[in-house]
Amino acid sequence: MITVYRLLAFGLFLLIWWTVSLIVGPNLIPTPLNTVFAARDLLRDGKILEPLLSSLAVYSTGYALAVLVGIPIGMLMGGIRDLGRTLDIYVNALMATPRVAFIPLIILFLGLGAEAKIAVVFLGAVIPILIGTYSGILNSDAELIEMARSLGASRSQIYWRIMLPGALAFVVIGLRIGATIGLINTVVAELYTAASGLGGLLALYGNTFQMARYFVVILALSLIGGLVSQGLRALEAWSSRWRVTAGN
Amino acid sequence: MNPTPSVVVSHVSKIFKRAKDLAPVEALRDVSLELPANTFVTLLGPSGCGKTTLLRMINGLIQPDSGEVHVFGKPPKPGPRIGFVFQSFRLIPWLNVRNNVGFGLSLQGVGEAERKERVDHYLKLVGLSRFADVYPHELSGGMKQRAALARALVTEPEILLMDEPFASLDAQVRELMQMEMMRLWSERRGIVLFVTHSVDEAIIMADKIALMGPRPGRIVETLDVPLPRPRWDDSIKMQRDYIELRRYLWDRIREMVTQDPSSDFYAGEPDKS
Ligand SMILES: Nc1ncnc2c1ncn2[C@@H]1O[C@H](COP(=O)(O)OP(=O)(O)OP(=O)(O)O)[C@@H](O)[C@H]1O
Ligand SMILES: [Mg+2]
Repeated sequence: MITVYRLLAFGLFLLIWWTVSLIVGPNLIPTPLNTVFAARDLLRDGKILEPLLSSLAVYSTGYALAVLVGIPIGMLMGGIRDLGRTLDIYVNALMATPRVAFIPLIILFLGLGAEAKIAVVFLGAVIPILIGTYSGILNSDAELIEMARSLGASRSQIYWRIMLPGALAFVVIGLRIGATIGLINTVVAELYTAASGLGGLLALYGNTFQMARYFVVILALSLIGGLVSQGLRALEAWSSRWRVTAGN
Repeated sequence: MNPTPSVVVSHVSKIFKRAKDLAPVEALRDVSLELPANTFVTLLGPSGCGKTTLLRMINGLIQPDSGEVHVFGKPPKPGPRIGFVFQSFRLIPWLNVRNNVGFGLSLQGVGEAERKERVDHYLKLVGLSRFADVYPHELSGGMKQRAALARALVTEPEILLMDEPFASLDAQVRELMQMEMMRLWSERRGIVLFVTHSVDEAIIMADKIALMGPRPGRIVETLDVPLPRPRWDDSIKMQRDYIELRRYLWDRIREMVTQDPSSDFYAGEPDKS
């Protein structure tokens, strides 16, 4: 049923797109059909494949680094209370700072190449992942902890068997927010450092009024975002498989 | 000559500090209690009189401010020798029933095979064998409490502390669980300290009742229950001893509650004429 509704919503979306493009004129907003043709051309002459792969490489490397750094630091901050209390105001301040503000600094240190772009993605994604992990551990269930203590659990047993597994749902939320910000930062980085990847194509087609191609790039980005968030949703479902399943 | 009781609580006091603008709470004042081997003791008293606090202290989860607790001659340490059944079931939601029940054993590092054998035994004892692979959210309240009971029993504790274990169950399930608990106890004995709000539950289950009073939390009186066992039979409630004990306890509790200024049932200063 939901699939049918989704298809209907998609049809409605196409209809609105089409109407708007007819009203404003296809030079500003291409019709869906023109966009499809543009996509076919771009795929055929390979102009989109290489930028796509380059964006994906930046995105996945930056995100992977963010996971590898964010989760362990969050685990340490949650496990060692004083460390967490010392650092959490700085982490929160960093969360509130638009991290794209650091781009000029990053360019200064790392130049305009892939390293700088990866750093921008990393910086965007790492903070929510870290905060998700940390707050998951802080939110652990005091009653379960006391229960474990009554059975003679040591502090490290409580950490590994109660606090950490209980934090999993929060970690996954952090991963999802991190993935979204990471993708945004991929494009931002490609626009503000040496133009490359899908962000570079956006700038190129936008500045030269090739709007059909410009729209193809936007759709490609939505596709990546959609696929990644579906994947993380699957992870979320897996991590809470012991919960009451909705509609059951 | 009597041997020293396994659990000795002597002159214990506990004050909880609270947020700056709130007065501290005197949860326990000068509480003394002895639990001899193989006795079932119920702890009866109105809300807030320190029953849970006393249990946590006997388990070694918290320390008294003054006075001493000795379990088997030493200050208590939480662990498999003292089982604790909490009012809220406290099952681990991401573990199935089998792993919840075996949780204490796995903390001790008991091997897979032995763990399975012991868990299976206790699952059978509480009637949950068919639900071993189910997650806690799929269980009813009574089943959850039986799983929590099995978890406390599986480490074979010599002392079992039960904090209003049946309070959240409906009346029928509650009576069935009481029978179940008495049957279990008649098989394995040991010391049970069982907290309850219910006068009937306190009498039916116990060899000895410790009556507690609030503000400050203290033990008002301890009474022996002169009723014969087994008590599966409902006719016990018709017996003279039962009826008298019940009336006596109710009077004492009513008195405490109506004279406690912070209780909802406070009747004002007693008439001094
Ligand atoms: N950790 C704590 N911090 C502050 N006050 C506490 C704490 N634990 C208990 N108290 C207070 O101590 C008093 C006794 O609490 P306790 O939980 O032992 O009562 P109880 O007899 O178990 O009550 P109930 O029958 O409602 O469970 C209460 O007034 C309670 O508010
Ligand atoms: Mg209590």
